[in-house]
Amino acid sequence: MQGAAGATRAEVEAVPSPLKTPATANGADAAPGPAQGGAKRIEAHDVDLFYGDFQAVAGVSVTIEPNKATALIGSSGCGKTTFLRALNRMHELTPGARVEGRITLDDQDIYAKGVDPVQVRRLVGMVFQAPNPFPTMSVYENVAAGLSLNGGRVKKAEKDEVVERSLRGAHLWNEVKDRLDKPGSGLSGGQQQRLCIARAIAVEPEVLLMDEPCSALDPVATLAIEDLIGELKNRYTIAIVTHNMQQAARASDVTAFFNLEETGKPGRLVEIGPTERIFTSPQEQATEDYVSGRFG
Amino acid sequence: MPEAAVRVEYQEELERLEASALGGLELVSGSLERTLEAIEHQDVELAQLVIADDDRIDGRYLEVHQSLITLLATQSPVATDLRLISALLHVLKNIERMGDQCVNVCKMIPLTGNEPPADEEMVKLILTMGRQTRTLISQSKRAFENRDVEMARDLVRQDDVVDNLNRECFSLALAIGDDPDSREWAMTMLLGARAIERIGDNAVDIGEQVAFVVTGLFKEFEDASHPNA
Repeated sequence: MQGAAGATRAEVEAVPSPLKTPATANGADAAPGPAQGGAKRIEAHDVDLFYGDFQAVAGVSVTIEPNKATALIGSSGCGKTTFLRALNRMHELTPGARVEGRITLDDQDIYAKGVDPVQVRRLVGMVFQAPNPFPTMSVYENVAAGLSLNGGRVKKAEKDEVVERSLRGAHLWNEVKDRLDKPGSGLSGGQQQRLCIARAIAVEPEVLLMDEPCSALDPVATLAIEDLIGELKNRYTIAIVTHNMQQAARASDVTAFFNLEETGKPGRLVEIGPTERIFTSPQEQATEDYVSGRFG
Repeated sequence: MPEAAVRVEYQEELERLEASALGGLELVSGSLERTLEAIEHQDVELAQLVIADDDRIDGRYLEVHQSLITLLATQSPVATDLRLISALLHVLKNIERMGDQCVNVCKMIPLTGNEPPADEEMVKLILTMGRQTRTLISQSKRAFENRDVEMARDLVRQDDVVDNLNRECFSLALAIGDDPDSREWAMTMLLGARAIERIGDNAVDIGEQVAFVVTGLFKEFEDASHPNA
């Protein structure tokens, strides 16, 4: 991720933009200010995604609204995770992968020339399927890791504040406040995933992408993450890929259903709408069949 | 997406429960037929039979209701399945109420005495009402089975016929004269007519559930509280 960022950093122009690396990056920029609801709208315009010659996603146009949780559902191989990874320029990290079409973050094209992918990923954070805290780092260091990576020094007092605020934001503070110096890998699976969410929100992103964030967790830890999503959406735009339809029904405001006509064909967006409508009166038969579990 | 059908047992169970719930309408139709016969012939024994037989309708309600709750708890139905289950829970209640209305009528038959001062015209009106209501019951069942919203909407028109007959019964009762026995008989029969009229209303309610299953929107076909809205 960092390697790919380095390649494009040279293209940075001195144009003020949250997506571009500041011409004078310093500690003040890296240290996030007080938490604010700076959620941004993501819009995809006729997006095609490829892995080499293989087209994984075709013609997706969709708006992911700020301060809402949008669930991306669909059977395996339908391109929903590929699409999610295109939203913070992680798709291009796969050799041979490419993006066609336009993806904007509050009207700014994240694939425009001169846009720094690292800045995109700072604004659009990602939480992965399996909790992946840095194994040798303490709980504290795990949360603070993103601050250091995003450039410059951060004062200890500021760091302490960000770590506490992020852990509180991830509903983890009370459970770990007395063992901040212990390894992050010593936490339970559910705690590790919340630690990863704390790490993601420490850098004050505006969008949080979650790729099946609960698939490795037990039901109680899953519900804790879902509750957290309900709170996080007040401050961030959230897109969550899930195979668990009840999770989409419980935790999201908007649901997008992806499908592929047959194996080998690209995935497409079939239907997007309020979650309540998708699960009570979907408009497309394919959506109906999928959410009803008639076809797997 | 692979076109392999899954959740076959769940689908079969849902179909079985729908058939069982709608089968309750046949039970009600049979009860109403016997109720009409009991009215026509002043047959107290037959009326007692209808009252006792209502346990079958109540039993059907409890059995299907419990099975639908189990499906909700274990299968997390959504979309059309969820609308269908919601509708069936309503329809079951409608059927149970229709059965109770037959019981209400049958409980009145002994009250009218062995040789009641029956007004032939009023008896005829009530029997016509009852037959028309049986048509509504079977039409509501067919509309549900076929998910036929037009047929469901037509229940309103059919129910208007029942409502008009009920009003005629009322006029006849008013004009029955001063004889206290005749007036008591007419009042009792009027309550019976009213119960039959309510069965028709329940059939229209079932029609509204058909529209909900098909469209996902619930709207009363006719708003009794705001008839001119």
